[in-house]
Amino acid sequence: MRAPATPILTKSAPEPPAPRAERPVAIPTWARPAPGTTTGRGQLVLSGISKSFGGTSARALRDVSITCAPGEFVVVVGPSGCGKSTLLNVAAGMITPDSGTVTLDGQTADGPGPDRAMVFQDHGLFPWLTAAQNIEFGLKMAGVPRSEREGRVEDALRLVHLVPKRDKLIHELSGGMKQRVSIARALVMNPAVLLMDEPFAALDAQTRTLLHEQLQELWCQTHKTILFVTHSVGEAVRLADRIIVLHAHPGRIRREVQVSLPHPRNFDSSDINQLVKLVRKEIEDEVNRVNAEMAETYWKPQSPADLGADSGLMGDGI
Amino acid sequence: MLILASWETAYRVIGWKLWVFPAPSHVVDSLLEMVGVHTAFGEPLHTGWPRPLPEDRAANAARPQVEPWYGTPLVKAISYSGVRLVAGFAISVALGGTIGLLMWRFDAVDKMLGPLFLGLQTLPSVCWVPLAVLCFGINEKGILFVLIMGSFSAISLVLRDGLRTIPPLYPRAGLMLGARGWKLYWYVLLPASLPALAGSLRTGFSFAWRSLMGAELIFMVEKWRGLGYLLQMGREFSDIARVVAVMIVMVVIGMLADRWVFAIVQRRVQERFGLGT
Repeated sequence: MRAPATPILTKSAPEPPAPRAERPVAIPTWARPAPGTTTGRGQLVLSGISKSFGGTSARALRDVSITCAPGEFVVVVGPSGCGKSTLLNVAAGMITPDSGTVTLDGQTADGPGPDRAMVFQDHGLFPWLTAAQNIEFGLKMAGVPRSEREGRVEDALRLVHLVPKRDKLIHELSGGMKQRVSIARALVMNPAVLLMDEPFAALDAQTRTLLHEQLQELWCQTHKTILFVTHSVGEAVRLADRIIVLHAHPGRIRREVQVSLPHPRNFDSSDINQLVKLVRKEIEDEVNRVNAEMAETYWKPQSPADLGADSGLMGDGI
Repeated sequence: MLILASWETAYRVIGWKLWVFPAPSHVVDSLLEMVGVHTAFGEPLHTGWPRPLPEDRAANAARPQVEPWYGTPLVKAISYSGVRLVAGFAISVALGGTIGLLMWRFDAVDKMLGPLFLGLQTLPSVCWVPLAVLCFGINEKGILFVLIMGSFSAISLVLRDGLRTIPPLYPRAGLMLGARGWKLYWYVLLPASLPALAGSLRTGFSFAWRSLMGAELIFMVEKWRGLGYLLQMGREFSDIARVVAVMIVMVVIGMLADRWVFAIVQRRVQERFGLGT
């Protein structure tokens, strides 16, 4: 008797997603939250921020208030020109608001400083320094002794997995590596808050996904308060605890969305994708409406069926 | 090379006069003579080296047969001119750099001095000579004055334009990392302006060299005979070969300094910044 034919294709139950490879990265002591509290510091409060440029007609921001709880990941989304970068620069102290205050852990913060470290879209690394020297720069300015600096730079490089590139000049690094150096440069200062101004906007899709994962990992490890600005809804949903949608002209808060998915998120798992889709749709409608108001016309891409409807009649009129 | 060869041939065949226009060989003779090597490539029917000494024994005995290489007119002239250049250029860089920095930092200074400096650049540096003669007399101060006036405005303008190209992101990043006050200038703005500085030094040097040569030509300071002095002496003795030879030396020195010093500095800086291609 013949053995039953072995099925060429067996449909087995889908395997549970493989656990992400554990990378043995120990959080350096200086970056750990204060003992006893999971959320030590980093309560950033922006209250009643207004700012206008070039006279009173163009108001970039009107009465915007945001409270970031310690350790919270807040993402601000909005169409271009809605003042989200201005908002972040106000938080960083680069721009003085016309009215309103910025408080960090109960203390008024004015002027830029390393307690609110910023990651710029164009990285803003110094091209005359190597990767390690860039990371070291802030510590040097703060007067940290050399012996301690070396260890902390080493730790920071390990956090962003860039130890082999430590002596490379900035222009020798890829775009993603530059942003990782930029993040390390901010983290090494052990800031209370991390401000990120569209940090991944200039990267290709693959690198961006990778950096999303790495940023999430970093955030889970260090529990920094992060205020993140982006125009990408997908990015916001992937990363955020809470999404704030900004309205343009004048810039003010349109809507807040709580994303109650657990961290760390597996960006590929289907049930999470389902939730992402829902939230995404909700926000995209919002952004579209804001866009439409800006352009004063409601423009939406036609469906492919509509676009293709006439194709069969091509040449009919000849 | 071909031009030089045909020039030399034409010279020998037609028989031009040395005092009308020199052949390349005469220039070579003159050049070597200035560094203490006596040759006669320019004379027809002669092997060229060594040149026979004049028959007049007394004249021979009167002047030293062999000058040490560092005592020859050309080497001396180059070193005198070099010292003047270094001193004048240093002052010029300090002055021009300071003013350029102020022009970049304060709009009022820029509005006040910018157009004036642009105007000064159109003024050939030799035009400062009469003023210098009247103010300082014929001496070292006068030469330095002409050199400085001829180059510092160019340094200021190039530096200011270069500083304006510093991306505003660098000072912002510096402030964010806690670099305030002088630290921001020293650790962020100064290194960020290195490409501008290198460019401004290069431009400034060529201006300074030209001014110095012009000034030396007219300020005949007896004690320290620079390259310009040699050139002028050639003119006064109608020694055309000498004139051409000194001019060649001037061009070569200017070129070497630009190519081997300033261009290399500039390239290094640009490589470091990843600006080169």
